Amino acid sequence: MSTETYEKWYRQDRLPHIYCTGCGNGTVMNCTIKAVDAMGWEIDDTIFISGIGCSSRAPGYITTDSLHTTHGRALAFATGVKMANPDLHVVVFTGDGDLSAIGGNHFIHACRRNIDMTVICMNNMIYGMTGGQGSPCTPVGKISTTTPYGATEPVFDLAELAVAAGANYAARWTSYHVAELIKAIGAGLETPGLSFIEAMVQCPTAYGRRNKLRQVGEQVEYMRSHAMLLAKKARLEEQGKEIPEDMFTVGEFVRRYRPAMGVPK
Amino acid sequence: MRLVIDERRCKGCNLCTTVCPYHIFQEGRNLNERGIIVPVLDRPERCTNCRLRHLYGRQLCGACQLICPDQAIFWEEEDPYATKKVVIEY
Repeated sequence: MSTETYEKWYRQDRLPHIYCTGCGNGTVMNCTIKAVDAMGWEIDDTIFISGIGCSSRAPGYITTDSLHTTHGRALAFATGVKMANPDLHVVVFTGDGDLSAIGGNHFIHACRRNIDMTVICMNNMIYGMTGGQGSPCTPVGKISTTTPYGATEPVFDLAELAVAAGANYAARWTSYHVAELIKAIGAGLETPGLSFIEAMVQCPTAYGRRNKLRQVGEQVEYMRSHAMLLAKKARLEEQGKEIPEDMFTVGEFVRRYRPAMGVPK
Repeated sequence: MRLVIDERRCKGCNLCTTVCPYHIFQEGRNLNERGIIVPVLDRPERCTNCRLRHLYGRQLCGACQLICPDQAIFWEEEDPYATKKVVIEY
């Protein structure tokens, strides 16, 4: 990405943004901007939509038209935008609390309808903006303000949920794997129908501080070393070996071409 | 091309020090006027994009720019005949 791309897509008067030191949301914004620019889309044809949360502040720093909507309802607003004008390219920024907790219903039905948009979920495993409450994506045993003895509930696997609900494209990467994340977002933008890209991001302020990952580098290293490719997981299962419990899978979960809604003729 | 860290944007997270294959970014020691320890550049002329950008005509590597959450890293054109300040040690 060149400097011109930055100057074209970022609102220079709004930067630097309010994200904490080392927050991965900025990295995911960079990757999205690069993928969108590589698609050759124009500023007037693209619209970024977001709900509420840290991740959902991202469209405010981008030059295009944007909607900053109510908590969890980003996908509902995006459906409206796409139905009103199918020629627009719709990209939704959302977080794990926004998408999986309060907006879970909208998410599964957007996947079921297979509306032509790209959903980028910045999963920081916690509610960062409101002070670090546990979200449906907080891993088991991790500490947050609402789970002071460690989270006990099973974790929501958002990419698998998107596959089960019928999305056309689902992938998961982390904010460390920038090249793969750009490729995944690019593939998602190309695919007609709903594309879901889950980006695991570090949150040193709300999550890392309570879980012995105080430094940004430590948490990025944790994500790097605990990411397991889907192919490797399948190989381990085939060989009957044990899969470590604290690993999470990364890779492309599905790419298919079910009939999509809102694709311009 | 010349590698630049924008000190008005950098928040000092040191993520760039983890990704550069040449370890050009090193952890800084001194606070700047905003109270942030900005990474220092160790011989930035080794950067692949600085050296070969014009030869290839496209962006090369660029991992530091992509991973920088604060959009603080960029390259700027260098004037080949610019006067440079040289410190002479006696």
